[in-house]
Amino acid sequence: MEPKLFHIFRNTPLGRETLLQSVYFCKTVGADMEIYLPEHTKFLMYFENDVVQIDLDPSYLTAPETARDHAGALAEAGKIRYDFLAPKHFTASTLPDIPTHFDFMCCPRSISDLSSKIGLGYIGPRVRRIVQSARFPVLLTSSVFKPWKSIAVFFGGSTNAVKSLKLGFRLARITGMPLKIYTQMENYSRADYEKVIADHGLEKAVADEVAEWRLFGTGDLEANLYEVDHDALVILGAFGHGVVRDVLFGSKMEKIQSAMPNNLLIVGPKYAAIH
Amino acid sequence: MKFANLWRKPTRWAVFRIDDRPLLMGIGLIVGICSGLAALALNRSLEAMFEWLHHYRHYWWAFILPGAGAALSSLFLDKVAKEGAGHGVPEVIYSVSRYGGLLRFRSAWSRLVSSCLTIGSGGSAGPEAPVVMSGAAIGSNIARYFSLNDRQRVVIVGCGAAGAISSIFNAPIAGLVFTVEVVLGEWTAVNIVPIAIAAVAGTEVSRILNGNQIAFSHPGFHIDLPDIAACIGLAVVTAAASVLLTRALRSMHHISAKVPAAPWARAMIGGCAVGLIGFALPVVMGEGYHSIREIITNSFEGGVAIVAVATLAKVLATSLTLGWGGSGGIFAPCLVVGSLAGLAYHRFLVLLMPSVDWVAEGCFALLGMAGLVSGILQAPLTGIFLIVEITGGYGVILPLILVSAISTTLCHYVEPASFYLKDLVERGHLLRPGTDARVLSDLSVNELLETDCITVSPNMSLRDFIDVIKRSHRNHFPVADEETGRFLGMIQLQDIRPYLFDPVMYDAVILEQIMDPRPDVVHPNEDLSEVLRRMDARRLFSMPVVADRKFLGMISKATLLDQYRKELRVQTVVSG
Amino acid sequence: MMKLEIDEVALSLDVSRTTVERWIRQGRIPIRRKGETCRFDQTVMDRWAQSHSLIFSPPDDRRDDDERDADPETLTAAISAGGVFFDCEGDAAPAALRSAVDRLDFLPAPDREILYEKLLERESLASTGVGRGVAIPHPRAPLPGFPESPVIATCFLKKPVHFKAVDDRPVFVMFVLLSPSVKQHLHLLSRLSYCLRDADFVDFLKTRPGAPDLLEKVSGFERRLDAADGRPRPA
Repeated sequence: MEPKLFHIFRNTPLGRETLLQSVYFCKTVGADMEIYLPEHTKFLMYFENDVVQIDLDPSYLTAPETARDHAGALAEAGKIRYDFLAPKHFTASTLPDIPTHFDFMCCPRSISDLSSKIGLGYIGPRVRRIVQSARFPVLLTSSVFKPWKSIAVFFGGSTNAVKSLKLGFRLARITGMPLKIYTQMENYSRADYEKVIADHGLEKAVADEVAEWRLFGTGDLEANLYEVDHDALVILGAFGHGVVRDVLFGSKMEKIQSAMPNNLLIVGPKYAAIH
Repeated sequence: MKFANLWRKPTRWAVFRIDDRPLLMGIGLIVGICSGLAALALNRSLEAMFEWLHHYRHYWWAFILPGAGAALSSLFLDKVAKEGAGHGVPEVIYSVSRYGGLLRFRSAWSRLVSSCLTIGSGGSAGPEAPVVMSGAAIGSNIARYFSLNDRQRVVIVGCGAAGAISSIFNAPIAGLVFTVEVVLGEWTAVNIVPIAIAAVAGTEVSRILNGNQIAFSHPGFHIDLPDIAACIGLAVVTAAASVLLTRALRSMHHISAKVPAAPWARAMIGGCAVGLIGFALPVVMGEGYHSIREIITNSFEGGVAIVAVATLAKVLATSLTLGWGGSGGIFAPCLVVGSLAGLAYHRFLVLLMPSVDWVAEGCFALLGMAGLVSGILQAPLTGIFLIVEITGGYGVILPLILVSAISTTLCHYVEPASFYLKDLVERGHLLRPGTDARVLSDLSVNELLETDCITVSPNMSLRDFIDVIKRSHRNHFPVADEETGRFLGMIQLQDIRPYLFDPVMYDAVILEQIMDPRPDVVHPNEDLSEVLRRMDARRLFSMPVVADRKFLGMISKATLLDQYRKELRVQTVVSG
Repeated sequence: MMKLEIDEVALSLDVSRTTVERWIRQGRIPIRRKGETCRFDQTVMDRWAQSHSLIFSPPDDRRDDDERDADPETLTAAISAGGVFFDCEGDAAPAALRSAVDRLDFLPAPDREILYEKLLERESLASTGVGRGVAIPHPRAPLPGFPESPVIATCFLKKPVHFKAVDDRPVFVMFVLLSPSVKQHLHLLSRLSYCLRDADFVDFLKTRPGAPDLLEKVSGFERRLDAADGRPRPA
């Protein structure tokens, strides 16, 4: 079966941009789309060891009578295969259960804050929980539709970074787009990173298929982010540490997402890499 | 860092890998204490709120208090906790059935606050269901913290519920029995021990902080044969009251749903109505433990008529509170209605046959409670043990069993599903362990897929096809377009048998002509129960599984039976 | 202690990988987690399967069975193992069989005796003369103990013998077919009869060809059969 991307449609101009991003993503990587037109502001996602309640902001319920046509028209125009998801099970009468067997999910950066805050802001706590528990990578879109032309993987040497690198290879092979790797060196040398790659049997793929590997030995992360192409899909791994650590030390994911308007594909700790 | 990780994953410790029972007992103990504390917190805050509002009760505008409380509780649930109304027990059972007891953390406190607002202000509802919900949610989240798997998590959720019930009633056995009978629906040694430990822990918490008091203690009763005979009549009365209460709650729900107002406004209306009833009959207000105490100790004033009216008024008040959007459970109102019904029945008997030496009326009130609890929950054991423990009345065990059993049976005739389960049964979501529905819902089409079919092209001649048949183990051949891979139809060997032995046909026929172009197909996301229903309806033995117009495999009853048996064995036999 | 991977466990239990993964999630199956990979202990799994009365047979046992059946002996190999014999004596079926069996020097004498009796017993049920002057004598069930791989002994008779064949034509050649399993037997029988259906092949047999020529001809047929089955010919 083709991979599936899950999209929650918001029937507003902002939601239209998000859907366009998803449509472009599906078209580029050859995925099908499953569109959910919410009828209630909340729903539950049951993951393997967590249940996440997602509280959508009320703008998701705007003009429900036109939502299906609007979403259908955009997907139709993108010539992708799509389907509308009708929840089968309900935990309570106004609380549907949304399945979690997708291959990708598209999220605006936050789905419960007011959409009037159109700046990058923070990743909402719910989106963060989805990233933490999902087996699929989460596509965090920029607020305005922009096609991407290359793929950039942020590789920091961790297990999740390896997973995101593998995902990067997979997408680069499907799309035929150039793949670039960016590494912010923190107390390690290039040899260390190369060893991690060799340990996972990726050295040949890196040598053959990567257009460029940029290692930043100096400068802080935010400054170096300028070097990343403006029209790249950024793939990065997220870590499983808790709220406390994030508050104390700051989360790298948060830093990157607040500095980069690019589309981000975030690989959570539970992501099971498909080869 | 490494150590911290290991601490959170005790299931990976060598000790617990072989046998997780000690681990479950340990976590059960923690959960029992936590949920016991939560129950106690609700109990204390209810008392405080009751005290505080007591000074305003005599004003003419006091009827607004329950309305305001209900409105606040509805607003709180909707805006702050962002949870739906309702008492929560069906949600716990649903999650236990389908998702291994995964519950949201917010459920651990949301119902406590909202039910405190509703009941404390005078709404007629019980604190037990909210406490069960929050105990279960505490259990679920602790289990999640320790990365337990579904089976273990379900037990811990049960521990939470048991701890809460035990603590609020000071009744460990009732907590244990309620959990196993109503929440889990499965009696196994692996379940019962941790849950018993949690029940004991919850009770102990309440005894340490609240003192070891029997909730509704009573003077001893002397029961004679006529009393036991009269119990049968009492059981009929309580069964009728149970059905009445269940129906009233449901119909009130439907009526309120038609009122065009915001949920909080509806709750306000319901609450105010309760307040008005409360002017005439204060017995209907709040969770009503105080009234039960009066009734049991034979000190309730009023004649048959007044008691009967009070019974009906309590039913009405409860359905007004809960049906219109207040938050709380059905347990305590059940006890009040039961005791009132028992009292009314007793006074009616005395009126009818004054010459018989009847037992004290408190005894019938007590039996009435058991009858109502058993009838509404359709859980006779819970009714029996709860009443024995909260009244300290082991002396009345015989009539107690009688009333519980008869009441449950009678209610079952009229309302086949209990109050907690009715919604779930109607939506087909009640999946008790080891049942057909459970096994089928756990299995998925993907797990039963048989992929050893040979796909053929529509342009193939029958002669070439015969070679394919020689190589295949199966009698089903999917036909798919060579270029696009699109699924076009099926060839069943039994349908084309006549052509196979006719050499003239070999080159004259191509497969497109003999295939079935519109077979019944299954989508991989379909529920198995639905697939089976279709197979049975059309007398099919196997069906092709097709997604996105691509053939994925076959699903057949033979494989299903094989998997079904394996699944059933894996689910039912106790695993160490 | 033996460790197993998810796939092996799924294979041993004869369920899909998805099922095993679900059982792990639901905590129904004893498991050792190490990081993100799962391991199973053979002994623990055996005990678990037994307590649930499931069959848990490790995959390698089963693979042995499969292997024996997977690649049946080729006709060419069997004929070459059996040898080609000329001028078998005898003017009736039993005598011809007797002399043919006596030529099978790869069998010890007592076994030859058993074989002869079995062949006669089979002939008494129905003739193995398949027509066009060819007979394929064989015992009705695999003989215990011998041979280890299937053999076909090709025996040309000195003079054609009446064999009660289906078309009543006298038999001039016998293929004595011995195989260790029924499956192998049927496989070889079907291949042999495929060759015999070809009239040219029978004519070729009438020339009483030597072993090298016969083998070359037969392997030609087999190549065609393998191509039709879509099976690569084993090297």
